[in-house]
Amino acid sequence: MISRGAVVIVAAVIAACGDHHAPRSTGADAPLSISIEQQSIWVRNFNPLLPPGRSRWPTRNGVYEPLEIFNPMTGRYTPWLATGHAWSDDLRRLTFTLRGGVRWSDGAPFSADDVAFTFTLLRRHPALDVGFVWGFVEDVRAVDPVTVEVRFTRPYTPGLADLVHQPIVPRHIWRDIADPVAFSNPQPVATGPFTEVRVFRDQVYELGRNPYYWQAGKPEVPSLRFLAYPSNDQANLALALGDVDWAGNFVPAVERTFIARDPVHHHTWSPLVGNMVLLYANTTRPPLGDPRVRKALSMAIDRARLVDVAMYGMTRPADATGLTDGYPAWKDPSAAQAPWMTLDRAAAERLLDEAGCRRGGDGVRRDPAGNVLAFDIEVVSGWSDWVRAAQLIARDLNEIGVRAHLRVYDFSAWMSRLQEGTFALSVGYSLDGPTPFQFYRWTMSQKTVQPVGKLAPGNWHRVGDPQADALLDAFERAASPEEQRAIAVGLQHRFADLAPAIPLFPNPLWGEFSTRRFVGFPDASNPYARLSPNAEPDALLVLTTVAPRVVDGTDGVAR
Amino acid sequence: MTRVVLSRLGFYLVAAWAALTLNFLVPRLMPGDATTVMAGRMSASASPEQIAAMRAAFGDTDAPLTTQYVTYLGDIARGDLGRSTSQYPARVADVIATGLVWTLALGGLALTFSFILGTALGVLAAWRRSGWLDALLPPVLALSGAFPYFWLAMLALHLFGFTLGWAPLRHAYCDHLEPAWSLRFAVDVAQHAALPALTIVVATIGGWLVSMRNTMIGVLGTEQITLARAKGLSSRRVLWAYAARNAILPNLTSFGMALGFILGGSLLTEIVFSYPGTGYLLIQAVRTQDYPLMQGLFLAITLAVLAANFLVDLLTLALDPRTRPHA
Repeated sequence: MISRGAVVIVAAVIAACGDHHAPRSTGADAPLSISIEQQSIWVRNFNPLLPPGRSRWPTRNGVYEPLEIFNPMTGRYTPWLATGHAWSDDLRRLTFTLRGGVRWSDGAPFSADDVAFTFTLLRRHPALDVGFVWGFVEDVRAVDPVTVEVRFTRPYTPGLADLVHQPIVPRHIWRDIADPVAFSNPQPVATGPFTEVRVFRDQVYELGRNPYYWQAGKPEVPSLRFLAYPSNDQANLALALGDVDWAGNFVPAVERTFIARDPVHHHTWSPLVGNMVLLYANTTRPPLGDPRVRKALSMAIDRARLVDVAMYGMTRPADATGLTDGYPAWKDPSAAQAPWMTLDRAAAERLLDEAGCRRGGDGVRRDPAGNVLAFDIEVVSGWSDWVRAAQLIARDLNEIGVRAHLRVYDFSAWMSRLQEGTFALSVGYSLDGPTPFQFYRWTMSQKTVQPVGKLAPGNWHRVGDPQADALLDAFERAASPEEQRAIAVGLQHRFADLAPAIPLFPNPLWGEFSTRRFVGFPDASNPYARLSPNAEPDALLVLTTVAPRVVDGTDGVAR
Repeated sequence: MTRVVLSRLGFYLVAAWAALTLNFLVPRLMPGDATTVMAGRMSASASPEQIAAMRAAFGDTDAPLTTQYVTYLGDIARGDLGRSTSQYPARVADVIATGLVWTLALGGLALTFSFILGTALGVLAAWRRSGWLDALLPPVLALSGAFPYFWLAMLALHLFGFTLGWAPLRHAYCDHLEPAWSLRFAVDVAQHAALPALTIVVATIGGWLVSMRNTMIGVLGTEQITLARAKGLSSRRVLWAYAARNAILPNLTSFGMALGFILGGSLLTEIVFSYPGTGYLLIQAVRTQDYPLMQGLFLAITLAVLAANFLVDLLTLALDPRTRPHA
């Protein structure tokens, strides 16, 4: 009796809440719903000086703004708070001209003092210096209200990207903050398109327009709305139901689970501009220090199968430059075609024999010192695409007489083994920047090599090449993009000769959007920025371009 | 009596100290720290100076363990759990507080309801052995409890939430409602809690029922029940005051344990229903190597288990004269 009564009561309660899945309102006042961070609760934090991911999106590029935006899709800098920059002839001074008439969201004028103040703050608190600009900057000062002069300790043109991408904070607010590292900045005063925190609760927050935004008529979107989805599954469910307008999630079987639910409005675009995925070989471990051995390992790997099986065909095999699709203007076709990137087991075996690693009676190879070639391939547990890839690679390597085993580690253990150089083979990602400079610096520069046992922030495989350094030094002093491109061709050839790390495939940068309520998202036909909201800083370009769909009574007019 | 309570209290204090010490040691024995994780996730250019500055900001130090231990105990005594590294600069206590109330309410109410209902049904099933209640309920509820909980919860969410649209798909209250002490908000919270709570009850009620029924059957066969009947007491009095009072003791102990584990135990419920509780925070802390948050949560769970056990101990003392001295 009791249980029947309880069931009736429960059923009544459940039936009473039928309005929970009411369709979202459309029209000019609808907020743009974005799924970016996976959190079960939101913690209020709008501090733009903390590293990305600490503060609520889009604090760094949307609430606050940078001086200029580098756009990897076009390879150009878009003027933002600065209208332009100029280098002195000796490349030791960089002068920014700031946009006039920009105001903070409390109405106070924006000026060069704010820019100089922001960089001074980073100097005093190195934990906030995310781009590590004080590694090459000597001094930042305001010349007049619209001119900022940056003096360099040495010519270092790649530093431009780190400088222009620094979010700028208002001096009149932040000079009173005692500890900006531990400041959660609950009420941001900023220059960006969305500065007003309308709602902030555990499960949801909403950002409204900046009343003083400097781009007339923008943003066209009235507000941004972020629901807390604790897992990818929950976020994808909301995306499929049309509750989310814009997301950067990995959606399994995206055609069936997302596009097919509303083929007219649901779209996905995941260009290959994420990181490069590489097999890192620890070159301090003989015989992995021999480029012939690394090239042989590379030639044993069936990348076409990796792409098909591990990545469901969502990417392509890497080429010998190690560059993703984020550098279309830089890539040199002749360097890309080095033979060690093509599957060729016979050639791989010949190369290993040549390097003195011959097969023993049991079929397993031994290095010249007589040690068996047996390596663990390390991956992060739970990163299923990488785990699948490492399994396939282990099988491929066993084919050529190298005993390889998959070994999974928790992220921080995997990371510290990479950083300390205690691994043998490890699947890992690349460290990239706006130009190929960062990628090659972190794969080949002597300056980034740390001894085994000492924490290395990059160059985990520990390759230092004097020839690459000569090119990188020249790159640092190159004044024009043309000059930089010519040097980058040399770097690509050096990478192809040396095989410091073994490129596998570029990662897609996942992105999905729905045009049911909003239009103007970038896609393959209009690639004005990367689609993923994770792609900073160009997400700011998307935030200021997207507009509510204008409904004309029939079924809406696009664009 | 006071002496017994005090000696129990002393035991729990020692247990709490041991738990605190383990809580201090375990994260420090793991490889890597929050800064390593963060430096690894930042693209390019974390310099040694910057890493040092980050370590200082996040409280990673190279100080000797003994010094760290003293600092740790002092901080705990002051109620300072430090700052979360994944939600930096939010304080751990504040982060935990956001989830605590939801987890306690959902898990606590569902567990209590399941315990009371299951135990009462167990008593009735044992009393009318081989009646329809006894023939039907134990196998059915044992079956429903045997389903993997995750699967059961997903099924409920898909059926009642996604397909039928009767229940909300996520969260503890509607996103457009401002939390307030109003009837509307209370009804909304109840609506959101109904389905997750129901799944917990369905999954756990069988255990309470079966264990209560089996203990009851044993107790009903004892001589004191025969004596109580012989005295001519009403069956209701024999059932509840004589049989059930004795038979409930093992169930009560389990209840105390389960109550303590609510903080960490509604993990799956919270994942499936996107319920903003502490279980989910724990997963996130583990995923992001947020040791301060992990420590704070473990501390809360440990203290909750100890407190619940202490209460059950006291309750057992009150219910069962044999556990009292000189009785």
